[in-house]
Amino acid sequence: MQTLNLPFNIADYILPAVLLLVAVVGLVAKVPLFDSFVKGAGKALRVVAGVFPYLAAVFLTVQLFSASGLEEKVCDFLSPALSFLGIPAELAPLLLVKPLSGSGSLAVLEQIISTYGADSYMARAAAVLSGCSETVLYVAAVYFGTVRNRRLRYGLPVAFLCTLVGALVSCWICRLL
Amino acid sequence: MWIVGVLLVAVSSPSSLLSVMLEGTSSAVTLAIRLAGVYALWMGILQIAEDSGAARFLSRLYRPLLSRLFRGESEETKALIGLNLTANLLGLGAAATPLGISAVESMSRGEEAATDNMILFFILNVTAVQLLPTTAMALLASHGAHSPADIVLPSLLSSVLTAFFGICAVFLCRLVARKIPLRYRPKPCKR
Repeated sequence: MQTLNLPFNIADYILPAVLLLVAVVGLVAKVPLFDSFVKGAGKALRVVAGVFPYLAAVFLTVQLFSASGLEEKVCDFLSPALSFLGIPAELAPLLLVKPLSGSGSLAVLEQIISTYGADSYMARAAAVLSGCSETVLYVAAVYFGTVRNRRLRYGLPVAFLCTLVGALVSCWICRLL
Repeated sequence: MWIVGVLLVAVSSPSSLLSVMLEGTSSAVTLAIRLAGVYALWMGILQIAEDSGAARFLSRLYRPLLSRLFRGESEETKALIGLNLTANLLGLGAAATPLGISAVESMSRGEEAATDNMILFFILNVTAVQLLPTTAMALLASHGAHSPADIVLPSLLSSVLTAFFGICAVFLCRLVARKIPLRYRPKPCKR
């Protein structure tokens, strides 16, 4: 694994590199940079206005879910089943919060890392787990809020199943590597 | 989930129900305002990339993969999908979201339900394949991890496996959905 020791701040240069590339290509292709930017940016408010009602509904639900104590109950209920599958009970809260809220899952991840130490199996598994799934409800609300196609059919079940599979795979892989 | 949540809060502490609900909706407002800024930036940059032809060039790189996964979508749609996946790969989540919205919009032809291609795209975004899990690495590093870059390979492996599983699951559901005649399908549930 030591061979993979990338210089850590490589990630810091991704964004500037992308921006520079876009600007240079734009200049070479003789695109009016300012006009193009303004044209694109003008769409942003319309998109946000379309997405907002769904964001409000999702956030309201998530807030109720955690404030009512339902989240804890579901967590207690599910963790034996999860640990049977190979997901430690300590990681169950992360797995449950992740599909609902991005900032919430970051807080849980930080808590796990500081409790078990940054080099522990638990911390590494938690970090890998949080990297291989997304905030499902948020993505669903944002992507499908703007279009008329609101029935997601089998979309959400498969998405949650993927989150679970991602957690399983990352726990197993961290045990192996 | 809604109703159970409301009932539970109402029973346990009725006085806090309104403040809990308001907290939820106001955090949506705060997020929406922040998103407006983020989207304005990235959609502006995207427009430059589109006008200069960089987007089309990138989508040509992805064509072998995308034309197999997303049958029947136009070149522009595939270009947007390719851009979205690239942004995800690079860990630019803020840029990926507006790109994804545009992609879904251009896939939409006004149907009631999400199309198979939309769901596939949604699943690809949910599984979030990322080259460098920067946020998790930064968190590990700030807590004094020995070499935070150790999680790069496991992360990549597990997210690729998850994405592969997701693609398989979507195609399986597609097959099953085609077998069930329309009138036997369950009624749409209200979200």
